[in-house]
Amino acid sequence: MTDATALDDPTVASSPSPTCLEMIGVSKQFGGHQALEDVSITLSPGRVLALCGANGAGKSTLVRILAGAESADTGTIRVHGSEVSIHAPQDATRLGLSFIHQELNLVPKFTALQNMAMGADRTGRGGVLDLRSLRRKALQVQERIGYQVPLDVKVEDLAVSERWMVSLGRSLMRDATIVAMDEPTASFTREEAERLYSIIDELTADGVGIIYISHRLEEVLQVADDVTVLRNGRLVGSFAAADLDIASLTHHIVGREVAQVAHRAGEVDPASGPALLEVRGLTREPRVRDASLTLHRGEILGVAGLVGSGRTELARLLIGADPVGAGTMTLDGAPYRPRSPFEAIKAGVALVPEERRSQGLILRNTVSTNLGMASLREPGNKLGTYSPRRAVRIAREAVARFGIKANSVHETVGELSGGNQQKIVVGKYVLAGPQLLILDEPTVGVDVGARGEIYDIIRDLAAAGTSILMISSDFEELAICDRVVVMREGSIVATVPAARATKDHLTSLCFGTTEQEPS
Amino acid sequence: MSTVTLDPTSVVATRPASARIWKWFGRYGALLVLGVLVVGTSLLEPTTFATYDNFINILNQSALSAIIAMGLTFALVTGEFDLSIGNVASLSGVVCLSTMVNQDIGIVAALVLAVAIGALVGLVNGLVVTLLNVNALVATLGIGTVAVGVNYAVAGGTPIGLPDPGGFIQLTLGRFLGIPYPVFMMFGLAAILWFILNRTVLGQSMQAVGGNPVAAQLSGIRVDRVRVFAFVICGICAALTGILLASRTGSAAVSGGDSYLLAAFAAAFFGSAVLRDGEFHVLGTLVGVITVSVGFNAIALIGLETYWQYLFQGLLLILGVGVGSLARRRAAAA
Repeated sequence: MTDATALDDPTVASSPSPTCLEMIGVSKQFGGHQALEDVSITLSPGRVLALCGANGAGKSTLVRILAGAESADTGTIRVHGSEVSIHAPQDATRLGLSFIHQELNLVPKFTALQNMAMGADRTGRGGVLDLRSLRRKALQVQERIGYQVPLDVKVEDLAVSERWMVSLGRSLMRDATIVAMDEPTASFTREEAERLYSIIDELTADGVGIIYISHRLEEVLQVADDVTVLRNGRLVGSFAAADLDIASLTHHIVGREVAQVAHRAGEVDPASGPALLEVRGLTREPRVRDASLTLHRGEILGVAGLVGSGRTELARLLIGADPVGAGTMTLDGAPYRPRSPFEAIKAGVALVPEERRSQGLILRNTVSTNLGMASLREPGNKLGTYSPRRAVRIAREAVARFGIKANSVHETVGELSGGNQQKIVVGKYVLAGPQLLILDEPTVGVDVGARGEIYDIIRDLAAAGTSILMISSDFEELAICDRVVVMREGSIVATVPAARATKDHLTSLCFGTTEQEPS
Repeated sequence: MSTVTLDPTSVVATRPASARIWKWFGRYGALLVLGVLVVGTSLLEPTTFATYDNFINILNQSALSAIIAMGLTFALVTGEFDLSIGNVASLSGVVCLSTMVNQDIGIVAALVLAVAIGALVGLVNGLVVTLLNVNALVATLGIGTVAVGVNYAVAGGTPIGLPDPGGFIQLTLGRFLGIPYPVFMMFGLAAILWFILNRTVLGQSMQAVGGNPVAAQLSGIRVDRVRVFAFVICGICAALTGILLASRTGSAAVSGGDSYLLAAFAAAFFGSAVLRDGEFHVLGTLVGVITVSVGFNAIALIGLETYWQYLFQGLLLILGVGVGSLARRRAAAA
């Protein structure tokens, strides 16, 4: 199977060998956003198919459809040649499909054997667990993958890679013939990854088909037989791994289109101004390792990186939401080591969190309560009293200032659109008067209009002297930044001035395929 | 700029009438129950029920439950439970009386000591929940049981009576303008607690913590501290109820206040369906307690047997909370 399938004719991929999985012409829309458009993949027994693409390319959506977590708008799925419909996760399991997600869905208090038995435990008679046959089967699975998972140890006491093996073992207990692995080596050491590769060899020799999702391109080329590349929800093509090298694969992932770089018209370069925040060697295993950066007053600094590169974890360290392992931070020249978001906000550092519904808002409360939440304790308010009338007045001003569309400040925020909710979360932290505002994915799930308004808010803040740290997977929006730092595997690996922060360039840096520039 | 979001005004305008009716029902349904009870009993027993004296009597009967239940409301507002309040009420009554009898200290000192013990138990509850990260149900069950042990140690398991009740009994028997002191205490405390919950930064923080602890923490609210305060308020209120109970009965039994636990939970949950959409609040809890008292009073005046009290209280709780929750779902679905 050395023929690369062209974009315009994906059906050519059908080869004489029998396929164990085909997805043909799959499309999926979320709201107005086309997450997948006419995507097809083919997997043969005993082969490894890698799915590649940048963040938001549609890999996860494709896998979720296969797992029965989402349903496709159009398209067909064939398993071992017969057309199937997968409406629920149980359907996928019955068809021999198995998924090992990054969050492994194990029960921490159960032993490895108990976890592996879940879902496969219908062997018992009259509802009684047949422990002996389960153990026998687990031992067979161990033999098959050639790796001893400690069966009687609680999963919470296992290392991450061992947990992953338990998860794989559970798939094999259910006699899976197709296994999808999402970023399996994200928290593996070099040796653990090597062990995984040999297990994959064992499985494919047995005729199991493997879907392999990874951002590590060297690894993809080493492990996969076939590579299917997605970009912006569309199929770029399916290639034989032997025909690819890192450069050509990167090229397929990034594409040719030139990103619109409309960065801030530079009046004064803020990067030449005084430094506000200096981070040196910040570490909290396993996600943040020796990260260093400098942020100047009034500067908008972008943080680019793939999902799982440690961006969110870095932001949480900066506001004291998680304890720092090692490293130093200075804020405005003074040592800065917040132990809680309370201390961070007192020092003037606030984080607009990634998940606005679960981390940013109290959905059943009103617009005015939510807007006031981060600034309850006004410096002048010694008695600690709260005036609803004052809160409403401040909220009305904020609604006008940030262009929040709500019937009144008494409306419940759960009823507002995503864009307006996001403006409330941003507004809440702006009202706290920060000198450094960190935004984690500020425009995810936000419509185009509100997106523009959020950029305006950010620019206005920076113009007024607030420093901004903006984490984003949407590299086009990083165009509003003065500089962009790239984060990979927990460290800052490059600093890019605005003029060079094109989407292609940043994507290559995120994958680690271009020469790194010293910061 | 162009926006693709729906104009929210059009959404609200098209909301059907049934949604508005359900919404109204969700908010005022519980009050409706109280209204129906009052009007119905007034018609059945016009000479005994619908009198000023009986009205004051009902309030007086409500006071002790109301104080402990309003305290519990604070724990519930922050999203926690407190199962120790009944034991704390028993303990505070016993401590209060035994110190007066055995240590011969004055009424005021005994009261202060009893309240301080309530606050201390609340503090320990809060610290166990926040620092040790023990689930509040477990923590307060454990601390409550410890309180029972302390109680036995102090009292030796036998009820304590005051040889010379005098001033202490006046705490509940005394009247001002013909109204018993406990009624004033109930409304006075309601006003204070309402102010704390709705007009202070601490109260707002409590509501935020109960609404979404993660968002509250990231907004710079000291979630653990706020929770500890809630438990302390809860403990103080439970102690106050225990003291008043000892005063009313003139004695303190080891398990005297235990029965207030379930009554307080029932009232607070019923109250969460009053005026608000399933949120705990001081006024709602007060209405919950008074509704139960009105029902008990009606049952007694109509001459029904005692078991009707339990049937009534249980059904009221299920109806109040269930109908409120159903109404909210309907209003959201319509």
